[in-house]
Amino acid sequence: MKVELVDLLFGATVAAYAAACLMFTAFLVGWPSGESAAGGARPLARWAPRLVAFAVPLHAAHIVTSSLVLHVCPVEGIHFAMSIASMLIALAYVLARSRFRIDVVGAFVAPFALTFLLASRFVGTGGGPKLRSAILPFHVAANLIGVALFTLAFAAAIAYLLQERHLKQKNLHGVFQRLPPLDALDRAEHRFLVAGFPMLTIGILTGTLWAREVEAGGTAEIARAAFSYVSWALFGGVLLLRAAAGWRGRRAAYGTIAGFGFTVLVLLLYIVRDATSAGAVAAVGAP
Amino acid sequence: MILAVGLSHRTAPVEVRERLATGADALATVLARLGARSELTEVMFVSTCNRVEVIALAPDDRVDAALSAIREELARHGGLAYDAELAAYLYDIRGDEAVRHIFRVAASLDSMVLGEPQILGQVKDAYDAAVAAGALRGKLARCVSRSFAAAKRVRTETGIGAGTVSISSVAVDLARRVFGDLSDHAVLLLGAGEMAEAAARSLGRGARALRVCNRSFDRAAALAGEMHASAVPWEGLEAELVQADVVVASTASRTPVVTRDMVKRAMRSRRGRTLLFTDIAVPRNVEPAVHTIDNVYVYNVDDLEQEVARGMNARRAELAAAEKIVTEEVTQFLAWSRGMEVQPTVVAMRAKVRAVFFAELERSMGRLKHLEGDRAALAQMLDSAVNKFLHAPTTRLKARAADKSDAAELAAAVRFLFDLEDLPAAADPEQTERANQPQAPDTDEDDDRTVN
Repeated sequence: MKVELVDLLFGATVAAYAAACLMFTAFLVGWPSGESAAGGARPLARWAPRLVAFAVPLHAAHIVTSSLVLHVCPVEGIHFAMSIASMLIALAYVLARSRFRIDVVGAFVAPFALTFLLASRFVGTGGGPKLRSAILPFHVAANLIGVALFTLAFAAAIAYLLQERHLKQKNLHGVFQRLPPLDALDRAEHRFLVAGFPMLTIGILTGTLWAREVEAGGTAEIARAAFSYVSWALFGGVLLLRAAAGWRGRRAAYGTIAGFGFTVLVLLLYIVRDATSAGAVAAVGAP
Repeated sequence: MILAVGLSHRTAPVEVRERLATGADALATVLARLGARSELTEVMFVSTCNRVEVIALAPDDRVDAALSAIREELARHGGLAYDAELAAYLYDIRGDEAVRHIFRVAASLDSMVLGEPQILGQVKDAYDAAVAAGALRGKLARCVSRSFAAAKRVRTETGIGAGTVSISSVAVDLARRVFGDLSDHAVLLLGAGEMAEAAARSLGRGARALRVCNRSFDRAAALAGEMHASAVPWEGLEAELVQADVVVASTASRTPVVTRDMVKRAMRSRRGRTLLFTDIAVPRNVEPAVHTIDNVYVYNVDDLEQEVARGMNARRAELAAAEKIVTEEVTQFLAWSRGMEVQPTVVAMRAKVRAVFFAELERSMGRLKHLEGDRAALAQMLDSAVNKFLHAPTTRLKARAADKSDAAELAAAVRFLFDLEDLPAAADPEQTERANQPQAPDTDEDDDRTVN
């Protein structure tokens, strides 16, 4: 019974994220009515964020039921980590969209949530780390929240660069009319970074302590640690330069995208490691 | 017949339009004068900056007298003599064309700026004033209120109101696309050009602060007073560039007053906060190279006018769809209106036939005493017979009236054939509509119910 329910919830969550992706894409390209007709694609912009909001509780239910089926703690193993990360991305978006008026940023967030969720299905079931430690849950939780917030910051940065490019080229049509205002994107990106940075810091500190405890020191661990430190330095640099030298807008967006790129690299190393060895360790960002 | 007499941006220059334009205070007087004219059955007065128009309903046989009365009142209202010069500016539209004109005006298809939203509110105000003055109550009231529904359809079903079609609205739209809510941002008006003033006014309404900077401080102070803004001295321009988020420039300077170096220095003090220039001046007030600075955007008059042209083209592309909706709504109204024209004849015809049948019943009942107990059933049978007998003439008359414009002739023929000659040619639609409500059913379905 439980297995069918897990599959049903997984399918429903995927369907909701996929539908939201399609609706966001249709809205951004101006389908079906184009920008000239009254009403235009506005209903899509209203319903796509609601679909993401609808997917979040389904996703949470899927995580809970599947962890019960597999008898695995949800914060252990890359399988659950990825699934939880994608749910947190969607949840953070749902909570932030009205406050920052960045509904359309969902166009970049929903595909991430969908990809993470699908990847979690095919990466493996994750049997739990062999190298357990008391600090591991803190490490995983902090990293997952950090990844979710950085994904949103990354999405806002991409949207900002698109808007900025249109403004500099004096092209005020098409996607420019559909994305949030430039300043709102810059502000949202900054706030997501401010919120995500302490999480990343905690993740790196706990990860370092954990690595020392279990005496991990392979090439993959060192590479992951190096990428994590680089992403931490990049995000920290963006925040510091904004406060000290007024680095906003385009420069901050590039810094955020670079930092997020290294975060994704860390995540990829986990996925590769998990795919090649049964010894799943923890979540992203761990050195 | 419905009439529309007046002048608009298409027929008269602003000097003439402003002579006839009426404020809310004088509207009641004009309406009272027009309402007192015996040639007019109903009347309303529309006055906007681009249009002064009297819309009226007059008996068909007094149309010329009604037109003269309206022209006379318009001239009197403007303190002018009705002469050949004024006559050249005035148009008069009659009958179905006048109905179409009213619908097009309300839907903003006859406006100077196609699709502008204000006209509907202005016509609604004129309608409310005329209803309050008791000058609008029947067919014309229905016509005008139907035009509102048509205008609403045009607005929601087409893109006639989409896009920005003035420099100031483009400037406001651009600022909102960059900053979103302007309540946390400051606007600086540089110079005192008319167009920039309009843009700054629109921007300033939602902004945290609005400042005016001009070479002449007195002029800046005077303008700031009008706009509930604050004036700043010309020497403080560079410092103002640190405070402002949107700068609307329109000085008469022959050389740029805002240079790249100046803005670079300001951006350092602004700590990179976004700065938007809308430069409406010709020659330009802001060096084009300013646009290359990070987080600074400069839009000149050509850029803005390009947006205006694009908006206008988009609206024109929607014109055919809008006209189609107007045609549908006008056709519906005209069908109703012509149906109302024959309604008094239908009511009288049915009343007469029924009276004849029932008089015969009463006469016969004297000889048919054994049927006294069945009187109710006989009455019901007669009612049913009247309905069935008149069903075809009633529906055909109404249908013909809705489709063709010879409703009056047809009604006259029916009046002649049924000896209803003492009936007035047309009655108050409101009254006849009321009279029609409790009418005996005239459909087969209802007849069946009656017989059974």
